[in-house]
Amino acid sequence: MDTLNYLGQGFGVALTPYNLVTALCGTLIGTVVGLLPGLGPINGVALLIPIAFALGLPPESALILLAAVYLGCEYGGRISSILLNIPGEASTVMTTLDGYPMARQGLAGVALSLSAWSSFIGAFIATCGMVLFAPILAKWAIAFGPAEYFVLMVFAIVCLGGMAGDRPLKTFIAALIGLFLSSVGIDANSGVYRFTGDNIHLTDGIQFVVLVLGLFSISEILLLLEKTHRGQEAVKATGRMMFNFKEAASVFTVNIRCGLLGFIMGVLPGAGATLASAVAYMTEKRIAGASGKFGQGDKRGLAAPETAIGGAACGALVPMLTLGVPGSGTTAVMIGALSLYNITPGPLLFQQQPDIVWGLIASLFVANVMLVILNIPMIRIFTRILAVPNWALVPVIAIITGIGVYAVHATTFDLFLMIGIGIFGYILRKLDFPLSPVLLGFILGGLMEQNLRRALSISNGALEILWSSPITFGVWVLTAIMLLMPILRIWRKRSAQRRALANA
Amino acid sequence: MLLQRIFASVLLLVCIGLALMAWPYQAAFSYEPVGPRAFPLLMLGLMGMGLLYMIFRPAPIVHSEDDPQLDRETLIKIGICVVLLLVFAGTFEPLGFIVSSILIGIPMARLYGGRWLPSVVIISLMSIGLYLLFDRVMDVPLPLGLLDVLEN
Repeated sequence: MDTLNYLGQGFGVALTPYNLVTALCGTLIGTVVGLLPGLGPINGVALLIPIAFALGLPPESALILLAAVYLGCEYGGRISSILLNIPGEASTVMTTLDGYPMARQGLAGVALSLSAWSSFIGAFIATCGMVLFAPILAKWAIAFGPAEYFVLMVFAIVCLGGMAGDRPLKTFIAALIGLFLSSVGIDANSGVYRFTGDNIHLTDGIQFVVLVLGLFSISEILLLLEKTHRGQEAVKATGRMMFNFKEAASVFTVNIRCGLLGFIMGVLPGAGATLASAVAYMTEKRIAGASGKFGQGDKRGLAAPETAIGGAACGALVPMLTLGVPGSGTTAVMIGALSLYNITPGPLLFQQQPDIVWGLIASLFVANVMLVILNIPMIRIFTRILAVPNWALVPVIAIITGIGVYAVHATTFDLFLMIGIGIFGYILRKLDFPLSPVLLGFILGGLMEQNLRRALSISNGALEILWSSPITFGVWVLTAIMLLMPILRIWRKRSAQRRALANA
Repeated sequence: MLLQRIFASVLLLVCIGLALMAWPYQAAFSYEPVGPRAFPLLMLGLMGMGLLYMIFRPAPIVHSEDDPQLDRETLIKIGICVVLLLVFAGTFEPLGFIVSSILIGIPMARLYGGRWLPSVVIISLMSIGLYLLFDRVMDVPLPLGLLDVLEN
């Protein structure tokens, strides 16, 4: 009953006119940012951090703004995948498979509104799941000591590699780069300057916003250069904009199944929206069997990944809010934003600042409703934005990125650092390294080191504390399973190949 | 494959360099058993092991079909783009936001295939607009630089 009470309070926070306008602005900005090539939820949220801070928004409004932008970006990404067949990011690849064929058949408007509806259901299921489970998890997490936290973070990092599938080693190296970068700067415990090279601008460490914008915006700008010669014609969204009741009913069971799946995948660290959408699509394809026209514009094929993405995006907020351990690149950025406001996410947040937590959860409901409503009148304007050519867009993105970085500390050193990180990020991308593990490692690095040192201080240097309690031991077992997964998968693939060779 | 090996070797050398740099890090006096160098050394060590494996067994890069191959022309373009960004960072404070963003924005728009006249018009308007939006409306202070004289 307490939970409902708190949720009511949360709606009280989220439904104040000021916060409603904030959420509306956030969803609009987020949708536009998600639409544009080269900008995704990670850059969108990161760019807004210094701006929200400069605007002097109170913490709960700032959080609502960031959450709305996050959801809006996820939503905007699907517009370009349905109309242009260009997935805005990895998670929307599955949306293009059936969304684009639907648009080609003259059902662009229906595809867009149906995907918005599906993602709304997914997000709704996940938000309900969050309301149910987050307080329980938070209560349970209070029993966590530094050793448990350290092991949990090791698990999160390993999960990234285990779940990412095809390139575990590269994911692992990328995460380690991030973990290492977090140790640059003055060491809080001993006052030793680490890896600063006597540069005063580095004593504070690498600024989070600088790292994010360098890795994601600058490298994307360089990547877009390779594609200047290609023009892409958007499918015109004409005719019926809204799906009808029959269409919604035909995908309803798909929505429910994939929403639950998305939520569970979202809560697991490292899995996230990309994996959730892929698994959802494959599962539904198998369930539909021969009756499905998957890949040729099947509505279920559109609804499945979209619902899963919606569920996973909200589910990813659960470990972030309750444990303070982010599970995805975007939630890592949000933790960075929270720490600017001196808010430490974690179990205590639920007790000390319930307004913020429940206000955020309630605003997720509100933002989701807004996105569905926005879709219908605004879609023509959004498709117009898609027609903006790269030559006008990219310089503006570069300049705004510059402003975002400069706004943090007002030094040009950060600009140079961002360009350096951007070039490094570009090289990493060209060599097929995933970038969000770098980000996740960077956020987890500081926490991980602090918790490790605290744990070993408690035990006076004895390493046993890291695996002696039942929780830590259990998490280590899970970690070991995760480590074995990619090895097992590679081994199975090899033996399948060998069998295929033997049969041939 | 070769590129990956080169990259992994360079990064491995960087790792070794950083590890040597971290070796002398020691707290003058401390009450905790783990000093400031343990964590970075652990990370560098693990990264080094991963990189060593990559040098000997690099994974093939799967190219998606629409991924264009890097040619000389694109590399030159990327070089120019990086130089432009560096110029932006260098002139941001001395010349001021508006001048420096026009200075690099127009060649950048050209680089991405815009024509002269629209590029000049749009980038100039955008620079001034962004300055007004961020500095005046949103309270993000941006340097005026050369245009400082216009202020008073």
